[in-house]
Amino acid sequence: MGTSEHSPSSVGQDVDAVVAGFERQGYVIDRALATAIFLVTKLRKPILVEGHAGLGETELAKALASLLGTPLIRLQCYEGLDVSSAVYEWNYQKQLLAIKIEEQSKQTVEEKERHIFSREFLLERPLLQSIQFEDQSPVLLIDEIDRADEAFEAFLLELLSDFQITIPEMGTIHAKHVPYVVLTSNRSRELGDALKRRCLYQWIDYPSLEKEMRIVRTRLPGIEERLAQQVVAYVHAVRALNLSKPPGVAETLDCAEALMVLGKKQFDEQAIHETMGCISKSVEDNAKIKNAGVSTLLN
Amino acid sequence: MRMNRMTAQPNVTAQKIVEFCRFARDRGLPVSVQETLGALEASAALGATRTDDLKFGLRSVLCSSKEDCDLFEQCFEAFWNGGTREASARQQPHARDTRHSRITRRNTHSMMSSGPSGEDGACEPEGAQAMAGASVCERLAKADFATLQQTDMAALEQIALRLFRQMARRLARRRRISTASGQVDLRRTIRRNVSRGGEPINLRFRERRPRPHRLVTLLDISGSMSPYSVFLVRFLFALQKHFRHVDTFLFSTSLVEITPMFRGRRLHDALRALSQLPAGWAGGTAIGGSLREFNQLHRRKLHSGDTLFLLLSDGWDTGQPSVLAAELARVKRQVRRVIWLNPLLGMKDYQPLTGGMSAALPHIDVFAAAHNLESLLALEKHL
Repeated sequence: MGTSEHSPSSVGQDVDAVVAGFERQGYVIDRALATAIFLVTKLRKPILVEGHAGLGETELAKALASLLGTPLIRLQCYEGLDVSSAVYEWNYQKQLLAIKIEEQSKQTVEEKERHIFSREFLLERPLLQSIQFEDQSPVLLIDEIDRADEAFEAFLLELLSDFQITIPEMGTIHAKHVPYVVLTSNRSRELGDALKRRCLYQWIDYPSLEKEMRIVRTRLPGIEERLAQQVVAYVHAVRALNLSKPPGVAETLDCAEALMVLGKKQFDEQAIHETMGCISKSVEDNAKIKNAGVSTLLN
Repeated sequence: MRMNRMTAQPNVTAQKIVEFCRFARDRGLPVSVQETLGALEASAALGATRTDDLKFGLRSVLCSSKEDCDLFEQCFEAFWNGGTREASARQQPHARDTRHSRITRRNTHSMMSSGPSGEDGACEPEGAQAMAGASVCERLAKADFATLQQTDMAALEQIALRLFRQMARRLARRRRISTASGQVDLRRTIRRNVSRGGEPINLRFRERRPRPHRLVTLLDISGSMSPYSVFLVRFLFALQKHFRHVDTFLFSTSLVEITPMFRGRRLHDALRALSQLPAGWAGGTAIGGSLREFNQLHRRKLHSGDTLFLLLSDGWDTGQPSVLAAELARVKRQVRRVIWLNPLLGMKDYQPLTGGMSAALPHIDVFAAAHNLESLLALEKHL
């Protein structure tokens, strides 16, 4: 596969350009991640982004796609995901109809078979779509790969090494343009070594106070500075409480947005209660936050 | 300063990077030839840039987990920044150099692994075989954990890891074969019936992928259990691989959930996380009280018909037997099967006569021993 024949100018020649590009997309990126993304575009390797839920793993792929000006193809993984919903499936209803219609025709069985297993009857699922582009490389987001089972992981490994898919009835389809692949995982289980080795790796941690402030400002331009500071400090205090589901950046943004909608100017005890649902997602966590007391959470 | 020199001579950079890869491998990062090549590619793509970028770039290539990343930080610091002494040592002729690094590897290795369990399992099976022949294996598999010699501990741990992993694999396979066929597979059905004008006469079926049970385990870590709990924790960790949902708890006088510490980690890291738990290992026991706590807080984790409930304890309860019986009965109503593993059952003349144990017996479906490897592996048929 040609590596550099197709590296779009918008990403540029160095890491600084990647940082600037992502900022333009409204995605606050740190240098480490930007370096990894730069390598993705240069080396054309897949990247595996791991981190707690709600830290912008999915957003990363979206931002990358719009930065490169290519389509984003998303495959959401779940338990029991199989090839027919990830790669391709035949349109059975249409095939049955076609067989009925052609019943009276003079075609031989072989001809009929060839017809109903042609592209016309093929339903392309995300993975097949991603290798079919004629003029550019799309971004392929394989979201929450840790939720899919090991069998699917093995299949994916094969796809990521050859970028070709074999359909027994039609033959093998090779990728004309190798997609940029972003895999995300929330670490609900450990992924196979083979898959991890094939990918560049990036661990996304909870952002620092300053970085999270920048994210809030970028995403919610209308927010008052003081309120934003209070919310971010509060979420950081909550993360220190060892909850079963610590709030991610998505939760910070939800909480800040909720406060704006409620018309709050000041973040106080009342506000903590009102926005509890944005931050804590279980009864036990609710109790922990309440027990921690206002003084530890707001200072 | 060093970076400047690197930009002048790209070959020097490449050599440095290869050296760094070797350095990192000696310190426990899983860096093979493939990763080294990746690192070279990455540094070439990055070109002459800041040290930061080189570091982040190498990190994304050489690491594949958060723990790797932490280790990488240390290695990188030592090699490029702090380690001027290290670096100058590397200017020496090559043969001496590698021997020197071998030795340091040994030392750091034993320092870094906190327990005898060692690293992620990839290389363990071979290691175990090299260490213990078949007869030793057999002897150790039958040995009671409580009477084990200190010297046998490490060997047994490795054998245990291997066998537990095999068991998990076997379980997975058995399930796949035994399930009955489920939905009609339209794709194959159509294919088969093209010659009959598409009339679906010969139906083809698709096997439903089996759904493993949920497993909820409670492990007693009170003082009387301490010779056993070391192995039982590893056993529970291995079981995780097989079940889709595992909730794991430890208890002595109260209950602690350790599910998140087990999830998505290697055994080594999970054990380290466990050792930092505030709950005291080897304290008193309140089985009934802990079960009550479980019922109050975590009862919703039991899905009837789908959940196996596994309790590992010797049954020495300081609380009221009636409490234990009542709470266990509540659990029993919600689960498919209650399994109680008791290490004392391995003793010849043991009778489950203690107040707690005899009160609990009517509510137990499977009552089995857990004093040695064999007995743990025998559990396979109940899972």
